[in-house]
Amino acid sequence: MTARAATLPPPGFGPLLRRSGGSVQVSSADESLEEGFAAHRRWAFDAAYRRYFPLLYSSAYNVLGNAEDARDCVHDALARVWRSPHAYTRARGAVRSFLVVCVRNEAISRVRASGRRTRLAERLAAEPHEHDELRITDTLERDRVRAALAALPPEQRTPLELAYYGGKTHTEISRELDAPLGTVKSRIAIGLRKLAAALGEP
Amino acid sequence: MNAHIGDDAALYALGALDDAERAAVDAHVAGCAACAGLLGEAERDATRLFACEPQHHVAPPARVRVQSTWTRWRATVSAVAAILIVGFLPSLYLWQQNRSMNAAMNAQAAAMHRLASASFRSADFSGRRARVMYARDGSWYVVIVRDARRALRVVWMHDGNAIDLGAAVPHGNVAMLYLPHSHVMHRLALMEGGRVVAEAQLAYESKSQP
Ligand SMILES: [Zn+2]
Repeated sequence: MTARAATLPPPGFGPLLRRSGGSVQVSSADESLEEGFAAHRRWAFDAAYRRYFPLLYSSAYNVLGNAEDARDCVHDALARVWRSPHAYTRARGAVRSFLVVCVRNEAISRVRASGRRTRLAERLAAEPHEHDELRITDTLERDRVRAALAALPPEQRTPLELAYYGGKTHTEISRELDAPLGTVKSRIAIGLRKLAAALGEP
Repeated sequence: MNAHIGDDAALYALGALDDAERAAVDAHVAGCAACAGLLGEAERDATRLFACEPQHHVAPPARVRVQSTWTRWRATVSAVAAILIVGFLPSLYLWQQNRSMNAAMNAQAAAMHRLASASFRSADFSGRRARVMYARDGSWYVVIVRDARRALRVVWMHDGNAIDLGAAVPHGNVAMLYLPHSHVMHRLALMEGGRVVAEAQLAYESKSQP
């Protein structure tokens, strides 16, 4: 028990600690975070923010392409989540991916409103001259995504790439590929499932 | 409207829905646990992909700012108010001779009061750090431009015409124009040197709503 107590996070670092009848209990961190989040608890919100900020920030940056917009975007997305207490329910699953997608969608909306291209699209267009900007791990990860995409049949890969790299809506994609909306949707859905399976746990 | 979300889950997670379609999914999953689960799975899949992207590093601010965009803009508005009041105080001695300046001061005070008390809508200008806050019925507008070095003309884009509404004059590096009595305008633009540099689309509640 003393060994355990030594690993406790500092006070105020909310979600790992739960007070019950005066004694501090350590509970399954992620479970309590999800429960707290669903119950619209401030500590859960703060903890998720601290824990996932690097991922959320990177995710916004990769769409928006600059630090100030990325930070603004994360804050606006999180403020919106906090203001809509019923947006997240336990059935939704992990808070981590819920927040990543919230931030991502906020970033994409901003890019669309401004009529710019996403950072990912620019990076794709700028290659192969931009290599030195990327760190080695980033290059490896990118190649992993490339390989997983390449393994998909073209009819699934193309609409998926237009959505992911191009930041396009399914309506635009269906127009661009001259394919029915329902077909485009189901191909993207199947493609995403396969891609995630190929990439494995992050 | 009440159909299950199906393949829209993947589109939502990848950012391939527009704002209205996304709102429809949000509304549905709030009351349908099955679809919430489906969406959660798609979000997990998409996050695997996003997590492979380049990492960027920044120190997170110490505390979460749970505040509306307005709260952040309010600081800007207060700064403008402070500048205006300090800038205009000497003119109080001359106010009898300078009624127009006095009127301008009153207008700014009225704008602050409006923003602080009434509910309003807001829209960002694309192309500039600028925002318009306006009454839900379009009866008044406050245009604020950040990082403004020169005065900007605010114009109403209407039926192919650009109708001049007035100048947003910078105080410090923030320019502001308050239009206390107006009618509904859907498109505003900022002009600098005779050229449109930014535009905003304004939305109003549709009249057909109950
Ligand atoms: Zn459903």
